[in-house]
Amino acid sequence: MKKFILKTILYIFLILLLLEVIVRVFHLYTEDPPRFIDEYGVEKRVPNNNGYAVTGNRNQNFSEFDINNSGFNSFREFNPTLEKYEVALIGDSFIEGFHQDYNESTGKKIEDKVKGIEVYEYGYAGYDLANQLHLINAYKDDFQLIDQIIIYLNYKNDLGRGIYKPNYGRIKMLSSTLFKIRDNIKLLAYGSKIGILEPLKKLAQGGNAFDDTEQGYHTNEMVDAKKDQEEDKKRIENFKSLIDLYGFDKNKTTLLLDSRKTSADFLNFCTKNNIKYLDFSPRFKNSEKPTTLIYDHHWNAHGRALIADEIGTYINSIKGK
Amino acid sequence: MLFNSLEFLLFLPTVYILYWFVFKKNLRVQNILIIAASYLFYGWWDWRFLILIFFSTVLDFYVGQQIFKNLNTKKKARYWLWISVACNVGLLGFFKYYNFFVDSFIGMFSSMGYTIKSVWTLRIILPVGISFYTFQTMSYSFDIYYKKLEPTRNFVSFAAFVSFFPQLVAGPIERASNLLSQINSKRIFEYEQARSGIKLILWGFFKKLVIADSLAPIVDDIFANYASYPASTLILGVSLFSFQVYGDFSGYTDIAIGTAKLFGIELMSNFKFPNFARNIAEYWQRWHVSLSTWFRHYLYIPMGGSRVSKLKSIRNIIVIFLVSGLWHGANWTFVFWGGVHALLYIPVFLMGRNRIYADNVIAEKTWYPTITEILQVLLTFALVTFSRIFFRSPSLSDAFDYINHIANDFSYGAYVHPMGYRMFDFYVLLAIFTLYEYVIRKDERNPFKFRSPIVRFFLYTLVVLSILLFYDDGVNRSFIYFQF
Repeated sequence: MKKFILKTILYIFLILLLLEVIVRVFHLYTEDPPRFIDEYGVEKRVPNNNGYAVTGNRNQNFSEFDINNSGFNSFREFNPTLEKYEVALIGDSFIEGFHQDYNESTGKKIEDKVKGIEVYEYGYAGYDLANQLHLINAYKDDFQLIDQIIIYLNYKNDLGRGIYKPNYGRIKMLSSTLFKIRDNIKLLAYGSKIGILEPLKKLAQGGNAFDDTEQGYHTNEMVDAKKDQEEDKKRIENFKSLIDLYGFDKNKTTLLLDSRKTSADFLNFCTKNNIKYLDFSPRFKNSEKPTTLIYDHHWNAHGRALIADEIGTYINSIKGK
Repeated sequence: MLFNSLEFLLFLPTVYILYWFVFKKNLRVQNILIIAASYLFYGWWDWRFLILIFFSTVLDFYVGQQIFKNLNTKKKARYWLWISVACNVGLLGFFKYYNFFVDSFIGMFSSMGYTIKSVWTLRIILPVGISFYTFQTMSYSFDIYYKKLEPTRNFVSFAAFVSFFPQLVAGPIERASNLLSQINSKRIFEYEQARSGIKLILWGFFKKLVIADSLAPIVDDIFANYASYPASTLILGVSLFSFQVYGDFSGYTDIAIGTAKLFGIELMSNFKFPNFARNIAEYWQRWHVSLSTWFRHYLYIPMGGSRVSKLKSIRNIIVIFLVSGLWHGANWTFVFWGGVHALLYIPVFLMGRNRIYADNVIAEKTWYPTITEILQVLLTFALVTFSRIFFRSPSLSDAFDYINHIANDFSYGAYVHPMGYRMFDFYVLLAIFTLYEYVIRKDERNPFKFRSPIVRFFLYTLVVLSILLFYDDGVNRSFIYFQF
């Protein structure tokens, strides 16, 4: 019996060890550059980190990232001046672009389209409008020098709050020993990415790891139009609150959005209040090729090219004015 | 509780430690532990249905003794046997077939122009594994009636036999002569047995998590949208379903047999590489063996088997396959599936080729199969796969539509995975799996039978790696045969 238990444990250990080697050699794990909150309360990546982001169990999407001096994934450094024409592109993971090589980013594609400009990509996974407007306000010295600001707005996700509060708890959690272990043992990082550790995570978080009713007995809820309206109202209130708190330069700020996923009330509000927006939905709708990755909902190379085309055309139209 | 869940990962070592370290010295307490663990295992899904298992246990324990007592007066013994059959089949009939028969009855009348309001159908939950444990307890009464077994006087042992958790919900459907005798005897820990148990568990997980679960989204997609796919995709869909259902069910069985081995108990084999069967008869000697032998022993042979006239034998074959089809589920699709197998089996039977492969495997004494063997295997696989259109379709009209689409609109079109995954990965996976099964085809209970410990170690690692590479978080991980 002793022999059996000891041998089983030994085999498990050796298998895990060999798997760790395989996961490292074939780079099956994804890297998540460390995050921090700077002295201005802006949450971003620790500068000067590079590595590879991986999607899918079998390396289905593999791309290189490079965190610049400012703490954002970009092919260039951010040095705004009065002489140059700069465009700031602010948004969440879609703009951060860990699902593409950093030197093929949306910003790079815009620069290729519009000569003589520099595009600064302030993208960070998890940013909402509160993060974005706070960032512009916190770095106002830089943003006064930047000529145009494009904010990618995911309407349903990004207007959930009316005030920005830095999430120190999350940063603390991510730098805890448990997460450090996860990040250093690549097999764990890989297991976590593919979801195999999900039941354990739930258990660790005190949730019911055994409850699979959510997965098994989903019912299609009727869409409650009234509830939607109330949520819309709340989102518009949050928007108002945010622009009151952090400012919103209507002359040089434009929202980038998909009108198919944005409420008509919000679009009317923007029109009434002279808030400019770029709607990329017609380009996506008319596209014959898929615009998102097959393993992931982020834009693929074609989707990014369409976004760059939309922004590039817009910048060209206002640059000379 | 599912084998492939975190709760089982915690449950198994706990029961194992209690079994071998705490209660090792007392057989009765060990058996009580088996009952408690098994009831917990089953009750995790729905504790209310434990009462059915308990009822079936008490019934057959008592009936078994009564049959034995009255064996001299055959009439009385038969009376008690019928009580067991009526109660167990009654349970099955109510929980599994009640609505089916009511709906079929209403359907029959409406096809004749009469409208009957469907007020008789009830909202009944199908208790997991009811077809398995009712058949197992009935086999105990049958064996006593046919004087193959003496009844046990130990209720604890009998209850442990009925509820033994590794095979409670999806078999193998054990015979008391095999399982009860082991439960009645003191178990001794054997290193080799435990080692082979762990290996079978690992192989079972591979079949379930890698083969079955990774194919499930593709099969679901093709069967749900068959009307919009070309014939080539429909053929692909049902072929992949063949692998899925095999991986799912034989994977479960391997985990069950492996788990039982950890507790010092040997369960019967249920799958013997059916994908390499050379005709339909051999297929049924290799697929779900515990069920096909159950029907053979307790239905086919009592009806006369093949020792009656050819016509009666054919009748017996048809009855067996139709009942076997109905056993699988309360739907005409399963009955039809059984009927198709009967039609495929009868010519083999009439040619006297139904037992010729009973004791040997493909390429028995050589490395490679002959061309004839390859063609036989491919034909058998194709026929079995065709029958699975009925097995998988939600209704008979869907099944015929599916076949119609293949037959009347034969065209090719590349299939794109619903999640966008590269299909090539799955084809390579299935090719490697089939080749590997061919290599180990002579011993279904030892999937890692290689002398070199280094080769074995790399194989174990490869199996775990494939589980990671093909793990899909979004797949419903329940086993297909749980619904039966």
